[in-house]
Amino acid sequence: MKKKNRAVNVFPKIQKLLIYFVLICISFVFLKPIFGIISKTFMSTADVIDPAVEWLPKKFSLANIKVAANVLKVGKTLTNSIMFSGILAICQTVVSALTGYALSRFNFRFKHFWFVMILLAFIIPLPVLMVPRLMMFVSFQEMLPFNLIGTPIPQVLMALLGQGVYSTVLILIFNNFFNMIPHVLDEAAMIDGAGPLKVFYHVVIKMSLSTILVVFLFSFVWNWNETYITGTLLRNSIELMPAKLGLFNSEFDSMASASGSAFKINEAYKMAATFLSIAPLLVLYAFVQKRFIQGIENTGITGE
Amino acid sequence: MMKKQNEKPVQEKKQEIQQKKDQKPEMQGAKPQGDAAVKINRKKVNAYQRRQNRLGYLFMMPWIIGFVIFTLFPFAATIYLSFTDVRTSILGWEIDFIGMANYVTAFFKNTEFVPALLSFLAMIIPYTFVVIIVSFIIAYLMSKLTKFRGTFRTIYFLPVIIMSGPVMSQILDANVSEHMEEVSRYDGLFIMNMIESYSPQFAHTLGGVLDELSVILWFTGIPIVLFINGLQKINPSLFEAAKIDSANSWQILWKIIIPLIKPIALVCTIFTIAQLGTYDTNPVYDLIKTATGNMSGGLGYAATYAWIYSLIVLLIIGIAFLIFKDRKEKKRGV
Repeated sequence: MKKKNRAVNVFPKIQKLLIYFVLICISFVFLKPIFGIISKTFMSTADVIDPAVEWLPKKFSLANIKVAANVLKVGKTLTNSIMFSGILAICQTVVSALTGYALSRFNFRFKHFWFVMILLAFIIPLPVLMVPRLMMFVSFQEMLPFNLIGTPIPQVLMALLGQGVYSTVLILIFNNFFNMIPHVLDEAAMIDGAGPLKVFYHVVIKMSLSTILVVFLFSFVWNWNETYITGTLLRNSIELMPAKLGLFNSEFDSMASASGSAFKINEAYKMAATFLSIAPLLVLYAFVQKRFIQGIENTGITGE
Repeated sequence: MMKKQNEKPVQEKKQEIQQKKDQKPEMQGAKPQGDAAVKINRKKVNAYQRRQNRLGYLFMMPWIIGFVIFTLFPFAATIYLSFTDVRTSILGWEIDFIGMANYVTAFFKNTEFVPALLSFLAMIIPYTFVVIIVSFIIAYLMSKLTKFRGTFRTIYFLPVIIMSGPVMSQILDANVSEHMEEVSRYDGLFIMNMIESYSPQFAHTLGGVLDELSVILWFTGIPIVLFINGLQKINPSLFEAAKIDSANSWQILWKIIIPLIKPIALVCTIFTIAQLGTYDTNPVYDLIKTATGNMSGGLGYAATYAWIYSLIVLLIIGIAFLIFKDRKEKKRGV
């Protein structure tokens, strides 16, 4: 009897071990490119060529990072990128909060229609919108005394009007969170004589600071990684990290030839540059990874 | 969530009906007074509705303005522009209607567009399949675990944060140069040879998918989280009932989990298609980008490219809709 019992108990354990094994293998495949980037970053030139060196460099060297940092002009591009993504993220957060609040609290006419439109805005592919957007901004620019194309103004404007990167997802996160705040609180505040804006600010916003942070972080990361709209509207007038990384190869060549040295581009420099451009995001993720995942779970797209 | 919003008005209507019912005895007792009460009540309801409209649109206003200016209008404009030739001049934009000429050029005269479109299709269809299936399998396996779930989730979600066009192309570049020496790594494999003898095209696609598995897996971050969330929300009593009816876990997977998870699969598919489209791995984007960059005469042409591309993407999303549509509703209709 005892033996049989044990056999029954062992089977699920083996199954679990197998699942762990499979998941660990998959994790490795997920992380392999990142490991590759990190290991190449710290390799010396000799190690890169040496076929015997696969992952661990024989000698740690920071030379690659120095070169890459020089080419990317890290100090400047980093602050530029943080400022740029931060401003856009603040704009997007504000608008998404307003829109999400409207959808969760008020039964206005054609609400369903607008809700469907918000979802549709996500499905429409970006390229189909970019040509007329570009033409509009160029036309505006001729009426104004200053430039629009090549400045962040068009993107700030689009973010302020709720048409930034993945705005729909941000609105859904807010909408779902606001739905969870009891209406009774609003009503209590209204009875005490608060207007709608006061209710929005003092009751709802102050209760959803964590959600605001989540939305801000998502928006920040997505704006940081966005290159298509930025490439079309901002061009290269403000040097941002990802765009600079895209131009790394040509930039490196021009700098190397200007200095007259025999530097040749190799994997290690490229990977070091890639490492530098994802490092800020990795640091961010290390601190707030739970919030990111909860944020996606709270979009409510999975239905309640 | 849509359901929730559907419920709200219904509840209110019920309340209204309740109020009216309460007033009925009054009406019977003294008719003129009761009528007045109903009228006042209706006025109140109207005022309430008007207030709701006003406030709702007040808060929605920025988004609606933005949507009209930056999404709805450009969408319509692109369709129009795709039939025109756009040039810049001192006076501004010169837009000439040229009929189907852009389309003719795109499909028959330009040698780059059709191959790019085909390679885009050859990329997005297998990639989307792999992403959805793999992310569902990972989520399903993770739902069986109790420990280290959070750790795995953290790892699988990481790529979402760092994924950007330039980073992806750098990694793909590194992949290519790594495998230069070993032209095809799968030549020696028996299964690959077998598949190749039947259909070289399929073997090629499969090899491509395997080569870029890491990068494809990076797109599974958000679908995995959504799937896990969906799996947790399935009512456990369903599983118990199935077990009492002596269903094994394979049957439970196919008869209970997959039908219930379909709506989430649809959301994930749409998200994946939208995401896959936006990276440098997409050959059509490059063409559109260069055409858009050519401001002096290429914008009408860029609009044509973009419009054809978007039609195809929307078509794929439409097909996804059909695949994941709830079949039960059809039966109810019949």
